[in-house]
Amino acid sequence: MTHPRAVLTLYDQPMWQSIEARKWELQRCDGCSKYRYPPAPNCPHCLSLAYTWKPLSGRGKILSWVVFHRQYLDDYPPPYNVVAVQLAEGPIVISNLVGEEPKGSWIGREVEICYEERAAGTILPKVELA
Amino acid sequence: MSGLSKIAAVIGVGQSDYVGDYARVRAGEKPHDSYGYAAIAFNDALADAGIARDDIDGLIVGPTVAYERVGEILGINPTWGAQADAMLAVIEATIAIHAGLAHTVALVYGNDQRSAAIQYGGPEAMGGNMFLSYIYHAPWGFTSQGALYAMMFRRFMEVTGCTEAQLGEVAVAQRLASSLTPHALMKKRITVEEYLASRYICEPLHLFDYCLINDGGVALIVTEASRTKKLGRKPPVLIHGVGRYDMNRGATSLEPRLLDFYRPAEERCAEQVFNMAGVGPKDIDAVQIYDSFSCHIPLALEGYGYCRSGDVGRFMAEDGISLRGKLPVNTAGGHLSETYMQGWAHQVEAVRQVRGECGERQVEDCRFVHYNSDVAGKAVSIIYGK
Repeated sequence: MTHPRAVLTLYDQPMWQSIEARKWELQRCDGCSKYRYPPAPNCPHCLSLAYTWKPLSGRGKILSWVVFHRQYLDDYPPPYNVVAVQLAEGPIVISNLVGEEPKGSWIGREVEICYEERAAGTILPKVELA
Repeated sequence: MSGLSKIAAVIGVGQSDYVGDYARVRAGEKPHDSYGYAAIAFNDALADAGIARDDIDGLIVGPTVAYERVGEILGINPTWGAQADAMLAVIEATIAIHAGLAHTVALVYGNDQRSAAIQYGGPEAMGGNMFLSYIYHAPWGFTSQGALYAMMFRRFMEVTGCTEAQLGEVAVAQRLASSLTPHALMKKRITVEEYLASRYICEPLHLFDYCLINDGGVALIVTEASRTKKLGRKPPVLIHGVGRYDMNRGATSLEPRLLDFYRPAEERCAEQVFNMAGVGPKDIDAVQIYDSFSCHIPLALEGYGYCRSGDVGRFMAEDGISLRGKLPVNTAGGHLSETYMQGWAHQVEAVRQVRGECGERQVEDCRFVHYNSDVAGKAVSIIYGK
């Protein structure tokens, strides 16, 4: 087992730089104003190649969640949660809910992005209940 | 739309010794590599078809082996060849036959995934080069294909009210099937209570929701329907229809999984395959579903119209999906309990059910078997029949 590495294509690198600065940015299409995730060379909606990096509002809603009971990665001893969050800007991202956990269903709960320093000294965006 | 209906037929199926090799691999041996398993299955399929190697003029190999090397080992110089997964191999063989590019095509697969310790989760997760979603979210500990399905199914449970106990019907039904299948790996039947008591891997999915990992090989011989009077020693099994619809948009951020449950892909695929075959869900006697995880089954049953939308939990528990139920699903035990041949063994089981050679697990008066898969939102269907 090793530490999980982020996929770092040419288009991912500016995003991770913004995360390091604790100000997560995604590409917003200059043509149709839609945000996209993961970062990509063009807008999958209108195919425009023009985009601007925009900071996220930090708001989102939980679409689903799981709890890992098996260890796959050194950094993640079980049990730990993973959530799918639909950002206010539209895209769905994967993260972990830190802090207080909801009683009952997590789906539909409002969350806010926060930042956590990982062992390797890197910053990872997480979410907490709003 | 007749399309590819009744153009091609399966005249031979073959496989390696799943049970024997599983025992040997677990004892630390390496009986064969992927090419060895492929060769064993090919020989078995030739014998089943009762044809000679030199009757073959088309070759499709699975994704785990190199095309040229398989052709070299089997001594086949074809007029047409390809590399494809199980479901697309059957469709591509049919297309090639229809186009006159080949007359009799061997479809060959071998995989030493257990003895080679292939990882489907973790930092070296298999398939990450093909499906970005398998590796993209690893920084958050979200790895393994099972976790992707767990995330999808958790939301499905919330939306439809389907329970863990109802999902457990899949593992229970497929164990009943595998207990009646001589070549299946898992012979011990389980109950819903035992299912619920089993440990979680990625909650809400339990251990019994996950496929096996084992070594093996599978082969099929597909030929022109018009040649089956002369070729083959068993009744031919015709390919009555095929369908496909891929949801690529939003795949890595899991939109089609979480927002649509891949439903639009299955509905479009269903329309194609049923129209081409000229039959509907009511005409189907058994269903084979690609089940890397149990939750493929409820999603597919709703998606292909075998039950009402939102009703699959009740359907599985009350109408039943076992050999004793209303709609037998994965009649040899599937990936969960028979063998994990990445969809290839499902084709073999479909053929054998239509032939009527399944012994204790035979579905009575089986005329049509519907195979379907929705691997990462790529919905593919094949209808086999007499």
